[in-house]
Amino acid sequence: MKETKLGDFEETLLLLVGILDKEAYAFRIAEEFESQTQRAVSIGAVHSTLNRLGEKGFLSSEMSGATAERGGRRKRIYTITASGQRVLEESRDFKMSLWNQFPAFAGNLKFNF
Amino acid sequence: MKNSKNHINSESNLPPSGRIKGGTPPRLAEKLLLWFLKDELAEEVLGDLDEKFYSTAEKHSTRKAKRNYWFQVIHYLRPFALKSTKFRNLTATFMIGHFLKISWRTLLRRKVFSSIKIGGFAIGIAACILISLFVRHELSYDKHYRHQEQIFRIANQYSNAGDFGRWTNLQGPFKPILEDYVPEIELVAKTVFWKWGDVGENHVRKQESVNNIYESGFFYADPELLEILEIPLLYGDQKTALSQPNSIVISKSKAEKFFPGTNPVGEQLILNDNSNQPYTIGGVMEDLPSTTHLQGDYILTLKDRKSGPGSTGWCCSNYTFYIKTIAGANKKALEQKLVEIRDTYVMDLLAAEGVSELDDMRNYRSFYLQPIANVHLNPEEIGDYQQHGQEDLVWIFGGIALIILVLACLNFINLSTAKSIQRAKEVGLRKVVGSVRTGLIRQFLVESIFYSLISVILGLAIASIALPTFNQLADKTLVLPVNNFWFIPSLALAAIIIGFISGIYPALYLSRFSPIDALKGKTKTRGKNSLVRNGMVVFQFTATVILVICSLVLHKQFNHYMNQSLGYEKDQVINILGLNTIEASERDLLKEELLRLPGISSATLADYLPVSGGRITNAAFWNEGRKELDPSFEAATWRVDEDYIETMGMKLTQGRNFTKQASDSSAIIINESMLNQLLLDDPIGKQVVDMFNNKRTIIGVVKDFNFESLATNVRPLAMTRGKGFNTISIKISTNELAEVTSSIGKTWDNIKPNQPIRYSFMDDRFERMYTSLLKAKNIFIIFSILSITVACLGLFALSAYTVEQRSKEVSVRKVLGASVSRLFTLLAKDFIKLIFIAIVIGIPVGWALSEEILQGMANTIDLNWSIFLVSALVAFGIALFTISYESVRAAIANPAEKLRSE
Repeated sequence: MKETKLGDFEETLLLLVGILDKEAYAFRIAEEFESQTQRAVSIGAVHSTLNRLGEKGFLSSEMSGATAERGGRRKRIYTITASGQRVLEESRDFKMSLWNQFPAFAGNLKFNF
Repeated sequence: MKNSKNHINSESNLPPSGRIKGGTPPRLAEKLLLWFLKDELAEEVLGDLDEKFYSTAEKHSTRKAKRNYWFQVIHYLRPFALKSTKFRNLTATFMIGHFLKISWRTLLRRKVFSSIKIGGFAIGIAACILISLFVRHELSYDKHYRHQEQIFRIANQYSNAGDFGRWTNLQGPFKPILEDYVPEIELVAKTVFWKWGDVGENHVRKQESVNNIYESGFFYADPELLEILEIPLLYGDQKTALSQPNSIVISKSKAEKFFPGTNPVGEQLILNDNSNQPYTIGGVMEDLPSTTHLQGDYILTLKDRKSGPGSTGWCCSNYTFYIKTIAGANKKALEQKLVEIRDTYVMDLLAAEGVSELDDMRNYRSFYLQPIANVHLNPEEIGDYQQHGQEDLVWIFGGIALIILVLACLNFINLSTAKSIQRAKEVGLRKVVGSVRTGLIRQFLVESIFYSLISVILGLAIASIALPTFNQLADKTLVLPVNNFWFIPSLALAAIIIGFISGIYPALYLSRFSPIDALKGKTKTRGKNSLVRNGMVVFQFTATVILVICSLVLHKQFNHYMNQSLGYEKDQVINILGLNTIEASERDLLKEELLRLPGISSATLADYLPVSGGRITNAAFWNEGRKELDPSFEAATWRVDEDYIETMGMKLTQGRNFTKQASDSSAIIINESMLNQLLLDDPIGKQVVDMFNNKRTIIGVVKDFNFESLATNVRPLAMTRGKGFNTISIKISTNELAEVTSSIGKTWDNIKPNQPIRYSFMDDRFERMYTSLLKAKNIFIIFSILSITVACLGLFALSAYTVEQRSKEVSVRKVLGASVSRLFTLLAKDFIKLIFIAIVIGIPVGWALSEEILQGMANTIDLNWSIFLVSALVAFGIALFTISYESVRAAIANPAEKLRSE
């Protein structure tokens, strides 16, 4: 049975894929992760998670054109699928509903979407 | 695979647009990646890692990028990325957990046996770790220079029909000759390490202070030495730090001691209260690393010195030369050129100086350039004044470490197969339930690797506990390099390899059992293996016997030296040191005051002592009138006062001692060995002449006494009358040492209140001359103990094995009425035979080895039978003790237990 819940790391990566858009391949995602979170991560770990997200159907991917920078090798560009989009939204909504039930902040915080 | 090959090729065809010069991702890591990575992922992953590599290389460094590449590759070891073919056999992989569990349970079930197995292995590994550290340190001397291949020490070489020798010292004026005529030599520096001038120990004080502090580690060098040996300076400049006359460079730790927290360049230091000649600090150097042959904290400059070191001419060979050649200079050609330069420019100068034997020099003497990295172990055996490591010792140690490891592995194999019957049932059952042989082999390999890992961890613990003791014995400051990135992985790798090698035989052996036989309790296989097993025990005990013999011989030799009559009395003599800071008149006053104290029978002012740490001077001598005719010989020349011979308890065999009369100032007392060199029948009143043309009349002959190591023969020695500057020696005639020393201290304080008294007992200094022998002895004893331990474990394994094989026989015999002692004899007989063979082989080898060890020394003991008897008895006793445990247990066991299953 395929797991369809999102882990924290998975969710972050999924969001990064969305942010990077046409540039979303393993190396760039790992770099972006490191610069956004200040945490070190190996490309292998990112790749493995992207692969898993693909298996879960949240990401689709295809090989792009070659560039000289990588010794002429192509890269695998990831894009968020509709179900990926949905699961991100669900996760956000779920957290929002939790925030809204949180008394100390509920009055003070304003979320703009 | 084809696919991935293409990727490598495309990489080399299409270099990454030349952004980083020379840096490409490590090929090995790339290969590893392609080996395990799914083919369809290769392209994108290689691309990603390449990009990562070049961006890291740009941001940081190529080295960091390479390291990071490895890191990334290792982190691709994830299930999703692995080639499915490589790791298809997942059941076997997952069985490892089960195997480990079984191994752990087996270990716990037989605690004694397991602890012997692991403990023995761990001891072997600990010994190996320690010795490897030692060997690594010994081999790492002077390998850290940037211009490693361009730094040399110059040595003289004499080679004439079997007569061959090399030594360092050269005349001072060679330096300008080399600088002017040899363009291949970029820099030249003279140095002085032997006890001359202020080399060695001195009393130091700051200009403004009155309190003298005792310091050691002084030597002289030309300003260029700092550049040649690439000594980094914290303050000051390499080129100029020693270039002013009377400048000094001190080490960082000494700078912090004398001038905490400040830059001391320009400050002045006074040596030995000689305030007429202060030394100005020209620089502060980093402390010299422990892996350089050159050790010291204070470098005094030789620049423009007017007297003593630095000022001698063509007469005397006083300096060790270090050079730095230009890049790419040919060593052989340069050596040849030095000879030519000598013949062209130097010979005339030497002749003008009156140096004799110039033809000898022209014909047989040449030069040898010793690469800096060779200086410590000195395989060329160049004579000099420095401490060296012993190359033989390094290899002997390495060999012993390997042997101990091999023995430990053999034991491991032995112990694993010995208790096979218990495991046989397990094997049988596993086979019945469907395990294939490869599975069983895998199980036993996992088990032995598991044991070996535990042993390595334990061995590491033992090594770290034993390290301080080992350091003391080997006179080192070794540390376990646990923080180095390679240390733990390489230990783990070693553990796996050792575990595999020592596990493969037991694995094949145990997995071969046929299930029916195994379950019935029948394990055959005897005879064929017993030769190997017995051979192993013989080998181990032979090694033990040899090491015990060597330790005993060294022990006896050491005691022999300590108790030998030396020709002088070393007991009850105190040397008070550091008198060079007081005036000559005060020294005489001190001597008078001391003689007035009760319990002091005599005192002598002389710097030359028959123990280490005294002054050394040598000169060439001839019979009067034979200087141009005879070859010279070298004799130690000592200046002593008229009380010396009495204080030291030396004996005159002919003639008389010095007196205070002025006529005795040109008198000389020689030792018997010098008398033999001079070939005089009636020496008293005859004259000798030295290299400076001083004529001296022989007034006495002193009985030979050992003034250098007892391991060498007594050299010629000549004494002339004079007074020491540094040392006064006093003979104590009472046993109240504490009282005498305190009264001596008071006398000293009256004369020199701002310098604490420094004294040593001569018998202590004598013993210190033999520390290297003592070290060798202790190390051999330790290895003997280790070897005995390992050999005992081997024998224990064998006895356990045999007893198990014969348990039914023993039970039947017991039922039929054999007594316990009869059974014990039956079981022990076979082993005693093996031990006997080991002793028969071991004694001649040990004998030969001992002769070899003693050959290099003089005054050696005779090897007699008692040494060999003792070592044989030791081997026998230990063996008997070891086998008795299993044998007695078998002999007193209840026979019904063993026979019940039939």
